[in-house]
This record gives sequence, structure tokens and C-alpha cells, in this order.
Amino acid sequence: MVQMMVAQTAGTETALSKHSTPTASRIDGRRLRSVRTKQLIIEAYLALATEKSPQVPTAAQIAERAGYSVRSVFERFPDIHSLQVAAVDYALVQVAALAPSRDTDGDRQTRIRTQVEKRGRTCERWLPLWRSLVVNQGESPELRQRIIGLRERLVGRLELMYAPELSTLSESERRHLLIVLEALVDVESWARMQEFFGLSFDEACAAWTQAIDRLLPPTPLAA
Amino acid sequence: MQSIQFVSPTLQPIYLILVVRPPPKFCSFLCENLQVHVEASGSIGRNDSAVSTPLSPKPARIDGRRLRSERTKQLIIEAYLALLRENPVVAMPTAAQIADRAGYSVRSIFERFPDLGKLRVAAADYNLAQAAALAPARNVDGDRATRIRSQVETRAGTCERGVALWRVLLASVADDEELKLRVRISRDRTIERMEVMYRPELSTLAEQERKYMLVALEAITDIESWERMREQHGLSFEEACSVWIGAIDRMLPPTPPAA
Repeated sequence: MVQMMVAQTAGTETALSKHSTPTASRIDGRRLRSVRTKQLIIEAYLALATEKSPQVPTAAQIAERAGYSVRSVFERFPDIHSLQVAAVDYALVQVAALAPSRDTDGDRQTRIRTQVEKRGRTCERWLPLWRSLVVNQGESPELRQRIIGLRERLVGRLELMYAPELSTLSESERRHLLIVLEALVDVESWARMQEFFGLSFDEACAAWTQAIDRLLPPTPLAA
Repeated sequence: MQSIQFVSPTLQPIYLILVVRPPPKFCSFLCENLQVHVEASGSIGRNDSAVSTPLSPKPARIDGRRLRSERTKQLIIEAYLALLRENPVVAMPTAAQIADRAGYSVRSIFERFPDLGKLRVAAADYNLAQAAALAPARNVDGDRATRIRSQVETRAGTCERGVALWRVLLASVADDEELKLRVRISRDRTIERMEVMYRPELSTLAEQERKYMLVALEAITDIESWERMREQHGLSFEEACSVWIGAIDRMLPPTPPAA
């Protein structure tokens, strides 16, 4: 995972350096180590935030988990809030990487099943961090913006997966249906199915599948 | 002024003191209903039906001093809730702020609530009692469209009034068993209400399908879903109701001919 992020960062730097110098891209070793330290601190934060959700871990706990000093943490992040924001961005990259769109051209049942199972796994994995983010967003516009961004990304995925059915609706009907679908497959909705209703993963997926199938209009013949 | 005694989840009585005021625009129909409910209802406990039923014809006798003390408690709770609505990012205002808003001393607060966590729990009980008083089941025997509209508008009124406290409850629930119980009761009541309102349609489904249907209806009409429609999507009260009405109508199976 760290390697993936380092590779991505290095890739970005390579792309940038290509613009500035025509020579082959060279990666500064010290800078790469610093990026790697940052990644390890972010990963330590994410692990602790997941374990302690919704409490925010302290700088000392993060430093200890990452194997660095508290000073190292604050050399790279001016405060815990900056670290939180960086960690959310890091998690967003992972969510995108781990949940690519599949079966977008499948039949109705395949598309519903694919979307529901993928969403269920995403909720399962990210629930503690999501709760921590929502509870601790406070007055931070950066964190709030990321929450909205995550919701928009989910709506984008729903639009992609259910494009044939949504295309049969008027603009306002379409907007309203997306609002309802987003509420249905919310992370907390998933959590309630398991914690409150006591459903297993498969049962929770079945509940969402049944609801989405009822909510979507008939699939047009061309799809 | 009229008082109603409720049985709280912890079996401590809660007095909800109701003062008749001009109804707010958005829930005038609920407030019209309030008078009927006040006259008809006795106590509402967690195991009672969502539909209020008349109890003894003799009204309960309430000790005057106790009523005044309960009224002070209620004003402190209302001050806390008002501060939450004004500044939702501050989950717990200071005791001095609450006292100042309620018009009492800080000491008065701690005489009634040993700590602010207990005040939060009392506020949750107050909201549950208020929801039961202001949102009785209506039109239970109406046609499909009437029942859906009635349930949605009642639920929307509850969400609109309760969203500020709900955010605080969710943020604190992980560490507080008392709050966890209140959150559970609130969800149980929402589901019970839907079972009452959509009985004809739900009766046509197999047990598992029925369970999944209630799970989905609860998710769609969750208080956070309401909050997002209003705050993030900028929908008016009526528009948001219409989104829920459309969704529930699509979700529910056809109404059997007998209903």
C-alpha cells in the first residue's frame, strides 16, 4: 500500500519534472524518504483512527505507532487537523483504487448486484474511519468538503451503474431518485443493517438489492 | 398550560409541559392534532403502541411543587436544545451558557442534573416524549396515498425538530449506554410506526421480504437523510416530503383490494 502511494507520488513528480526538464526523470532519494515517512505517519493515523473511532488519536500515539518521534510528526504536519485531511485524501485514493467500476454494461440484475456488493465491502472496510470523519469534522471546511466529495463520488457511481434506468426519467425525477438511492446505500445505513437489524453481509446486500430493484424504473429495451 | 406524564426508558416519569402557542407554519397540521392528542393520551412507554389510546377517564393529579421543578428542568433542557440548534458544531455548550439561556443559575442546573451528560440523556428523553406527543399516527385507515403522505409529513416534522440533538447523540453514542438505548428506542418507534401505517401493503409480503422492506424504508427516511435533503441538496420542506413520498410509493407493493 505504501509502495503504491510512493509509486503514485513518484509518478506525479516524474510527470511534473518532465515539464520542467527534458532529461530523464530522477527522483531525489531524500525527498522520497520524506514522502515515505509521511505515508507511514498517515497509515499509523488511519490504523489508530479505525481502532479508536470516533476518537481522534493523539500525536504521541501516532508517533509511537509509526515508529517516529512526535517532532517528526509535527515536522511534516503542522497540526493534527492537517494530518486528518491528508489521511482522508490518502483513503480516498485507496477507495478509488479498490473499487473500480465493473459490469457497467451488464443486465439490470448484474449491475445491481455488482454495485451493492462493492458498496457493502466499501462500507464494511471504511465504517470506523467514516464515523471518525463525520463526528470530528467540527468547523473544518476541508473535512466537510471531503465528506461532500465522497457523497458526490457515490452519486457519480450510482449514475454510472444505473444509467439505462435513470435515462428514462425527467431531470427532477432523476435527481430525486439519486437522493433516495444515496440515502439507502449510506455508510450508516449499512452499519444499522448489521448493528441494529443484525443482518449478515449477504442479508444486508439482499435488503439493498430488493430496495434498489423496486426503486429503479423499468430498464429500457435497448439496455 | 397542560402537562402530560410519560414513562421514560428508565421508568422515571417525564413531564412534557405544553404551552399552546400559534403553530409554526411548517407543522400547523401537527399542532392542530396536538390538542386532540393531549386530550386523548395518557402515558406512552417504549412498549406501547405507536397509536395513542385513551386510558383512565380520571386525569392524574400532579403535585404543584414537583410540576414547578419539572418545569425548571424542562426550561434547562429547552435552553440546551436551542443552543444546539444555533450552533450544531458545539455538541455540549458550557453550563454557564445553558444557565444563561434558561434564566437560571449554574447551580440550578447541577441541582437537577449531576453532570452535563445526564442533561444530554434527559434531552433525548424529552425529544422522545415530544415526538410521541406531536406526532401521533394519523390516517391509519386511509387510502394508500393518504397514509404515505401522513407518515411522511409526520416523520419529516419529527426530523426537522430533532436533527440538532440527533447529531449530538450519534457523536456521543459509542461511549454512552444510556444514549444507545434512546437511539434504539427512537429507531424502534420509527419502524413500529411504518408497520402500522403500511400494514396492508406489508401484509402481502413474505416474512423476509417484509423485514428487508422495513430496513430499506427506515434507511430512506432516516433523520440524516432528511438533514442532507434540506441542507446539502437545499430542498424545501415540501420538496423533501415529495422525494420521500415518491420513493415509498415505488417501494411498497400494490395495496391489496381489501384495504
